[in-house]
Amino acid sequence: MIKTLGHISLVFVLVFLTACDRKPVAYHEQLLVFGTVVDVKLWGVKEAQGRQAVARLADDFAYMHNAWHAWHPGPLGRVNQLLASGTSFTAPPSILPLIQRGTVLSLRSGGLFNPAIGKLTALWGFASDDPPKGPPPSAEAIRAILDQRPDMEDIRLDGIKMQSDNPALKLDFGAFAKGYAVDRAIDVLRELGIDNAVVNAGGDLRAIGRHGDRPWRVGIRHPREAGILASVEVEGDESVFTSGDYERYFDWQGTRYDHIIDPRSGYPAQGLSSVTVFARRADLADAAATALFVAGPDEKDWLPVARAMGITGAMLVDDEGQVQLTPGIRKRIYFEPSGTNGQTNVEIHISAAL
Amino acid sequence: MNGVKLSRGDTVVWLLAATLLIGLYTVFWQADGHGAEAVVLVNGKRWARLDLFHNQDLKVPGPLGHSRIQVRDGQVRFVDSPCPHKLCVHTGWLSQGGEVAICLPNKVSLQILGNDPRFDAINF
Repeated sequence: MIKTLGHISLVFVLVFLTACDRKPVAYHEQLLVFGTVVDVKLWGVKEAQGRQAVARLADDFAYMHNAWHAWHPGPLGRVNQLLASGTSFTAPPSILPLIQRGTVLSLRSGGLFNPAIGKLTALWGFASDDPPKGPPPSAEAIRAILDQRPDMEDIRLDGIKMQSDNPALKLDFGAFAKGYAVDRAIDVLRELGIDNAVVNAGGDLRAIGRHGDRPWRVGIRHPREAGILASVEVEGDESVFTSGDYERYFDWQGTRYDHIIDPRSGYPAQGLSSVTVFARRADLADAAATALFVAGPDEKDWLPVARAMGITGAMLVDDEGQVQLTPGIRKRIYFEPSGTNGQTNVEIHISAAL
Repeated sequence: MNGVKLSRGDTVVWLLAATLLIGLYTVFWQADGHGAEAVVLVNGKRWARLDLFHNQDLKVPGPLGHSRIQVRDGQVRFVDSPCPHKLCVHTGWLSQGGEVAICLPNKVSLQILGNDPRFDAINF
């Protein structure tokens, strides 16, 4: 009898010890990589496991940053030189998947997301470490690139050989590489057995699992004021990406020229101050945020793009601060009180369903 | 209260209960997400931990020079930084747990701490 009791208590002790050992802990680290701050939050990991995982992500991000940089010398720079020469060459393995996925997303967006317009981005001065100061480029210079209609279909892929017959084509994955990198980071975390995480790369994120007993809480920054415009809870597996005209821009003679170039006009997209896109995959969310920003504030323009790309939700804030929401997001989003009365003074319009 | 007299033991219990109540109040009632502390990181490493109710001005050395950070009445912000875009300065005042401002070129970042921050991530 006493022996049995002893065994039972031993089992209890072991159970409690295991419970202590498995006590979920949050692990948080900030990385200065990929030309931005990558904020990684993990839940339910031991510290050593967290540190190891984040170190692995740091290496991967550094590799991708180097391989995909649009204006520093590296693999993408060499690919652009070879594409411009019109010769057939072997695609570097670091670039090929980006071209393939970028082509799919560009087609789905009806060309509003177009990674082939690197020449336009550079012409506007956004392909530089220093911000452009103006003046904007001449209409003739813009027209010269636009007339050659560079798009992803100009790239001919044959196995691992590739070639372009459009000399105006220049790849710039600025509107999409971050999303692609975040997806790879989430893949790596899952491979390492981590199922609860947020990878936030410079304000664009994908979250999986939960923060312990609650969902992950995501605040969305106000495009025109300091602080938070709205917040939303995320769990399971979802990406939240925002494109805004406040990120990179220059003012010239009273006009703001932002870094998101409309591939149809060759000029910075007008009418919206920010677009937030919800989707499972981060690369899709990233490309769609740009495509919707280019499509503009009119629902009949952006909604078909959102549907064609297959995103799960969107929030658009126009230049006057008016907010448009897809119905699914309306149910989930919480607007922060502003002003002295603690009331939300945001004008909200609900769009048709996606 | 006639006939009821507190013994010394009762008084001790009451005092303990009151102390416990005040303790619980201060611990839980203040956890409204308003961070009382911030951390300054330089190149991802902790450089300082700031009490947001101790007003002060700091000069944080980064690779490009000094970033100037100001703490005022529970808020903190970048006042200046040797970077081209001044995105960190434009971010403005931070006060909520989880809020972040970053000067990427100078590798200085500022984050509000909180036991249970209102936001796990900020989208921008």
